[in-house]
Amino acid sequence: MRKVLSLILALAMAMTMLTAFATTAVAEVTKPESISIFIDGTVFTTNNARDAFQARWEELTGIKLEITQPDHDAYYDVLQQQIASGDWPDVMILSSTYYSAYAAEGVLWDMTDAWEASDLKASGRFTGDSVVEGLKIDGRLYGFSPTRGNGCVTYVKQAWLDAVGMQAPTNWDEYYAMLQAFTTQNPDGDDKKETFGVAAAGFVGPEAPYVNYLPEFYQDGTPTFDKDENGVWFDGFTQDSMKAALERLNKAYVDGVIDPTTLTNGTKDCRNKYYDDTFGAFTYWAGTWATNLKSNLEANNLSGELVALPPIAEVGAYLDRVPPVWAISSACENPEGVYKYFIDTMLDGGDMQMLWTYGVEDVHWSMKAETVLAGTDKEKTYEDGQFHMKESLEQAGTVYTKHHIDPMLALASFAEGYYDPREDSVKAEAKAASELFNTHSKLAIIVPTTEEMSMYNGDLVTLKNELIAKVTMGDLSYEQAMAKFESDGGAEWSKAIVDSLNALNK
Amino acid sequence: MVSASIPKDIRRSRLKARILKYKGFYLMFLPVLAFAIIFHYLPMLGIRFAFTKYNLIKDPVFVGFKNFERLFSMPNFWSAFANTLNLSIVKLLLNTFMAVIISLLLNEMVNIHAKKLAQTIIYIPHFMSWVVTASVFQMLFSPTTAGLVNQALMKLGVTTQNIYFLGDSKWWTPTYYIINVWRDTGWGTIIFMATLTGIDPGIYEAASIDGCGRWQKMWYITLPSLSNTIITVLILNLAKVMNLFESAFVLQNDAVMNVSQVLQTYVYYQTFNSGTIPDYGFTTAIGLFRSVVGMLLVLACNVASKRVRGRGIV
Amino acid sequence: MMTTAQPEIRKAKHKFHAFPVLNGLLFALICLIILIPIWKVLVDSFDLTTGYGMKLWPEKFGIAGYISVFTTQSLYTPLVNSFITTIAGTVVGLLLSTLGAYVLIQFDMPGRNFFAGALLFTMIFEGGMIPTYIVMRQLGLVNTLWSVILYPAINVYNLVLMRNFFEGIPTSLFESATLDGCTPMQTFYRIVLPLSKAALASIGLMFAVSYWNDYTNYKLYITKELLYNFQMKLRSIMMGSDLPSANGGMSENTVQNAAVIVAIIPFMILYPCLQKYFVKGINIGAVKE
Repeated sequence: MRKVLSLILALAMAMTMLTAFATTAVAEVTKPESISIFIDGTVFTTNNARDAFQARWEELTGIKLEITQPDHDAYYDVLQQQIASGDWPDVMILSSTYYSAYAAEGVLWDMTDAWEASDLKASGRFTGDSVVEGLKIDGRLYGFSPTRGNGCVTYVKQAWLDAVGMQAPTNWDEYYAMLQAFTTQNPDGDDKKETFGVAAAGFVGPEAPYVNYLPEFYQDGTPTFDKDENGVWFDGFTQDSMKAALERLNKAYVDGVIDPTTLTNGTKDCRNKYYDDTFGAFTYWAGTWATNLKSNLEANNLSGELVALPPIAEVGAYLDRVPPVWAISSACENPEGVYKYFIDTMLDGGDMQMLWTYGVEDVHWSMKAETVLAGTDKEKTYEDGQFHMKESLEQAGTVYTKHHIDPMLALASFAEGYYDPREDSVKAEAKAASELFNTHSKLAIIVPTTEEMSMYNGDLVTLKNELIAKVTMGDLSYEQAMAKFESDGGAEWSKAIVDSLNALNK
Repeated sequence: MVSASIPKDIRRSRLKARILKYKGFYLMFLPVLAFAIIFHYLPMLGIRFAFTKYNLIKDPVFVGFKNFERLFSMPNFWSAFANTLNLSIVKLLLNTFMAVIISLLLNEMVNIHAKKLAQTIIYIPHFMSWVVTASVFQMLFSPTTAGLVNQALMKLGVTTQNIYFLGDSKWWTPTYYIINVWRDTGWGTIIFMATLTGIDPGIYEAASIDGCGRWQKMWYITLPSLSNTIITVLILNLAKVMNLFESAFVLQNDAVMNVSQVLQTYVYYQTFNSGTIPDYGFTTAIGLFRSVVGMLLVLACNVASKRVRGRGIV
Repeated sequence: MMTTAQPEIRKAKHKFHAFPVLNGLLFALICLIILIPIWKVLVDSFDLTTGYGMKLWPEKFGIAGYISVFTTQSLYTPLVNSFITTIAGTVVGLLLSTLGAYVLIQFDMPGRNFFAGALLFTMIFEGGMIPTYIVMRQLGLVNTLWSVILYPAINVYNLVLMRNFFEGIPTSLFESATLDGCTPMQTFYRIVLPLSKAALASIGLMFAVSYWNDYTNYKLYITKELLYNFQMKLRSIMMGSDLPSANGGMSENTVQNAAVIVAIIPFMILYPCLQKYFVKGINIGAVKE
């Protein structure tokens, strides 16, 4: 394995040298002695043997890592404290909001040239050009993501489809007929319990892209700002497509096919109701969650067979979130070196990519003969040479599924000849859901920030959400809602924001 | 007034004598003062950021009262402000009232084991986080077959159809108070129960001999001895009424924003939906505004307290 | 006279019997109402199936949730940290509250009102997250347990309540102590503290509970997982499964509910031990003799 890797490395180096000669003379990159990084809970925590990860990383590069890893919930609070204290880390993980704000304020180092000259770009394995393009701000790149962002797909219970004698729907009419059948034809076989076709956490999602939990209802309608084919911004809320979406929601509410408590449901409530066999169609995260839903249903003695539904004709594509990025701070003394040894190696197709994707050998994963979760009903024995993830150190009874990079979302495959454990590590249903999502998704657009946006959008979103809820629940007609939108100032705020967004284009 | 007639140097030497008399106390107060200065007064220098634009990256830029202008001109600021005062003051009065009643009744409990058990049980809700509390009550109050409250009301014949307690503006506020009473009343009794232990049992004995009944003793002995603590607790909590956030945040939803949107949640959504990182100057300005309102409330009540019973709370 | 008084007494006697029963019933009802939502969490924590609504008993009983919470290898250090900070914090907190409260009842002391105002001011006005962090950083407290012990120890709310209790101590006791030649400090620990057991117990309990439940300060001032407390750990168990990338396990719901119950247990153990200090009627008159 080592041999293959060194061969690849040598090749890659030759390639870089070639490209370096081919373009202009790139300044020689010196290897940093140590790199300080700020990471959230998506990298293994101390309780999950972060030390082993760090040791392995340092062994592979010969560079010392200084890691700060705040509590996952408080990551941005702590990061802001650190930035305010003037002691900036070399590398940090940033959400899209912080990414664009920090880039605009000059906190981030412009990595466009480093990316263009990177080994990864030259390797030919990289498949995420659209992601990189999506991350560019005014044509410059300040952050890199080794994965796509992921999003939600609709899972339908096969057992329910069988019970009502239906096929997986392919368009709205079939989808709605399915919801009705799920509501009225007692698909769970329990006469007493009420059932619903679909449920969600809120009639409209709390954050961008807002419509991802009920895509079949919104279809091409959106309550937020969007760009037309000419690049002109408009507010989706006032469009006819939104009117149609609200009519669909209202009809579903009146017909009782959508859980009436969707208004107050949290995502956990939805999951529990789904496991409880209360509803049949659930739009939730692709990938690992397919396995979680299945195993929880099975724990309830229900069939775990779920159909990951290709987007119905009217939806076209699911929405892919903008992924969080790795960025280098402008205070970093040797950003080229940090890029080369830290960021560019993440998807090196070899040992380093393995480390970021699955963790450390014999700590997080293993090829040795072993029985995992011995003594439980999920016990599984592996033979020597068979790749498998090990039992979680932090949460006994569960098995690691991945490290920072989700193998299903990675933007580059392993190098040719390097063992890719994906076939052995990812469960079939998770893989199917991910592949379905990957082939049927489009990247959500980032709406830029303007002065008007930060002034009015809070009130505007609150008002829109209130109107969506009230029209859905029949408290207001669409016309009354639009009149209220006008009279409460919504139309005015909306126009101010649209104008400010369009002014950016000029 | 009296001291004005005394010559200055005598006053000064008297003051000196008094200070000397209390020198031990000053020494004892030193650690308290040191903690207050280090952990509160030093950071308070940061209040100046309220008058700046500061994104924590570049140096703060002085903007005068711009942040406050922005705050006051926000379209729904005043309704959020009114909701905050409304919800948290009613909640405070209700919780305190209930805690006093419960304490008085607990105090009358004869069986010591039952009393201990009851006390332990009523404290438990305080240990449930708001997130958990909200998810449980959303289930109990839901307008479906899972909603225990609706089921019970219909069985009893009080209602004929499900009420969406947390999804209807008419019902949200009372439901919110009920959940708050459930969670915090028990814990609120701790301080009252402790105060009640301080009452000299001799007074009760004397009252019994004088022929006072249970209710008379409660009214003329127990309640007056609690009054001091009640007023103190009320005024101390008034300082925090503007901080209302978590309980409203976890229980509100899109349909009841007009009654449930409080200042802190309002600002949260403003920032969350602005598409950019929070301006720390603006955040500080809001904090300062809340403090000023809290201070005005405390001062007003302290003055009222002085008028009515001759002294304030500290 | 005698004849008219007779029914009065009987009536009073009758009331005397009815009230405790009614009162007891009332508390039974109150406790029932309080316990319903907690019962839901408790049942779910022992139920290996996952449901939404209220169940009277677990559908499939099992303690896997608790096993999962307790076999977590990393639970030991957080528990130790919780104990250290709760004990140390409560001691420091009580010390500051009692000292401050004792000084605040010296109404003749020059500057007393100023001190009282200065303390109250800190309860209402705050510096904010970032300036507090910078001070903590300059003091070298960030990423040490001192930050989560010392910062919440100065609690003016508790201090003022303590002062309220101290005020109930008869001034004559202080006077006689001074006449006996006691220094303020001696008076403090010979008279004030022994007479304030209920106050110390109740405010100590309030301190202990807030230290035990603290996570806001941990989130901001501690980034080393080895220094996390029990509450941080439980939160990560409860929140962890909400992430899009959740690892997920069997019955995540069971584990979460078990974590909620486990958070209550330390209090259920501690409180009955403290309860003897809440018993009624410390006879101050007796101390006077």
